[in-house]
Amino acid sequence: MPSLMIASERQAYDRLDSAIRDAHGDGKLGVLAAHYAEGGALYENQGETDAACFFWTQAYIFALDAGIDDLADTMRAKLDVCGRMG
Amino acid sequence: MPQATKKMTRLCQAGPAEWATMLEVDGQRGVEGRTMTDGMTRMDGDQTLNADLEKTSRPIGEASGLPNRCYTDPGHFALETARLFDRAWACIGFAKDIPEPGDARPIDHLGRPLLALRGKDGEVRVFHNVCSHRGMVLVDEPTRIRSVIRCPYHSWCYGMDGALKATPHVGGPGHNAHAAIDRATLGLREVRAAVWFDLIFVDLSGKAPDFESFIRPLAERWFPFDQAELRHAGEDGSFQLEVRCNWKLAVENYCESYHLPWVHPGLNSYSKLEDHDNIVEPGLFSGQGTRVYNPQLSNDGRRFPDFESLTASPKPVTDVWRTRAEYVALYPNVLLGIHRDHFFAIRLEPLAPDLTREHVEIYFAGNAALGADFADLRQTLKTMWHEVFVEDVFVVEGMQRGRASDGFVGGVFSPVMDEATHAFHRWTADRLLSSGGTPDDRQPDLSHGRPSLPEAV
Repeated sequence: MPSLMIASERQAYDRLDSAIRDAHGDGKLGVLAAHYAEGGALYENQGETDAACFFWTQAYIFALDAGIDDLADTMRAKLDVCGRMG
Repeated sequence: MPQATKKMTRLCQAGPAEWATMLEVDGQRGVEGRTMTDGMTRMDGDQTLNADLEKTSRPIGEASGLPNRCYTDPGHFALETARLFDRAWACIGFAKDIPEPGDARPIDHLGRPLLALRGKDGEVRVFHNVCSHRGMVLVDEPTRIRSVIRCPYHSWCYGMDGALKATPHVGGPGHNAHAAIDRATLGLREVRAAVWFDLIFVDLSGKAPDFESFIRPLAERWFPFDQAELRHAGEDGSFQLEVRCNWKLAVENYCESYHLPWVHPGLNSYSKLEDHDNIVEPGLFSGQGTRVYNPQLSNDGRRFPDFESLTASPKPVTDVWRTRAEYVALYPNVLLGIHRDHFFAIRLEPLAPDLTREHVEIYFAGNAALGADFADLRQTLKTMWHEVFVEDVFVVEGMQRGRASDGFVGGVFSPVMDEATHAFHRWTADRLLSSGGTPDDRQPDLSHGRPSLPEAV
């Protein structure tokens, strides 16, 4: 997590972290994909490309598994732009 | 050639699956259930086995049955897996269990994890159910694949065609590719598979002759029955039995009619022994037929609809099949029954040398038989077949217990009544004696006589 962030951003990360843990526990793949995509956006806004790509990868895989093709395509495209798909 | 050199040559010719069997020493159960004594190696046992198998392979009047070891020995069980199942078209399940695109069903096939999957195109495919990365089993229970098969370990993802689609973080966090990981070569390994009469067959070796040539003799024999008409009876047409016997005893008991008047007196009341004939297609299947099939499941004259394809066949054909039914064992592990109005299949799942699970599935011709007005008849038919197959349990389990006896050395065959059983023994012996190549490459040996087709067919 970035070392310099304002309180509202930290709250957003904490909320997201909790939501992701809950979704893993529930096995809700679509919810997981959405949360990880959201996390990727947060890190992208922070300029943290590596962290964003980690989250987008998670989102991509869970979207694939859930059969949410639109989200999977979007995540793949973002990873492609960053040169992370080979 | 010196004996030691011969043994080494045989070791080299055999595969790893056989090495353990050939090299085990002392204390193992040997031929005819005897324990091998000090200094006697398993290879010596193999030589004795081969001599016994050669006796089994003789013409029926001179032949002995398979020795006890073939029914009791874990090492032999492994040998059969390699030579009787892996190099043949073995049945692993039923297509009705994966009815919709994306339906996937894991199958333990003699200890090997397989995955049967109906693709988006409706085709049934079978894959080895393991991830190309670390060998993790991919799918543990029947499921509906939405888009990809995701490994539960590192989430490598495979398409329904087996292609490796995603390797998350494989090049480090957020890096999903690496030069050392060639996705194009790391897809799921597909198994050669085919579906016929709803049965899923696989050839694990990939070397068996094409499926069409394997199934053609039976398909031609049963040409009046259009498999497109088959409708599974759902809960009314499915049950399993677990029997404490070697799988071969279930085959042997099924394919002969000799036991009917003694074990199934109920059947005998309307289908007498003299109404049956032997069916033998050497190297492929054997069984029995009856000429007096006459379904009477209700008191009000209702009966299941016949196959339309049969009804539409030339009169000589319909005349034969109006009262004919056939029961054949399709080697190695399928038992089939065909009638004018229904079909059933039993997949034998060998669980151990002395334990077999029988998966029984009953099908009707067309949708009408699945209606509510036939519900009672479906139950009656299921109950009838269940009772018949349960009646056989004490026989096959008794024969299994008998294989522990030193007083039994394979038995003999009645040239009249045991033709179908001997045909199966002969197929088994021939394949066990074949240490290399693929026995299926050979054409069936027709020297034992043509199958007894219905006269009008």
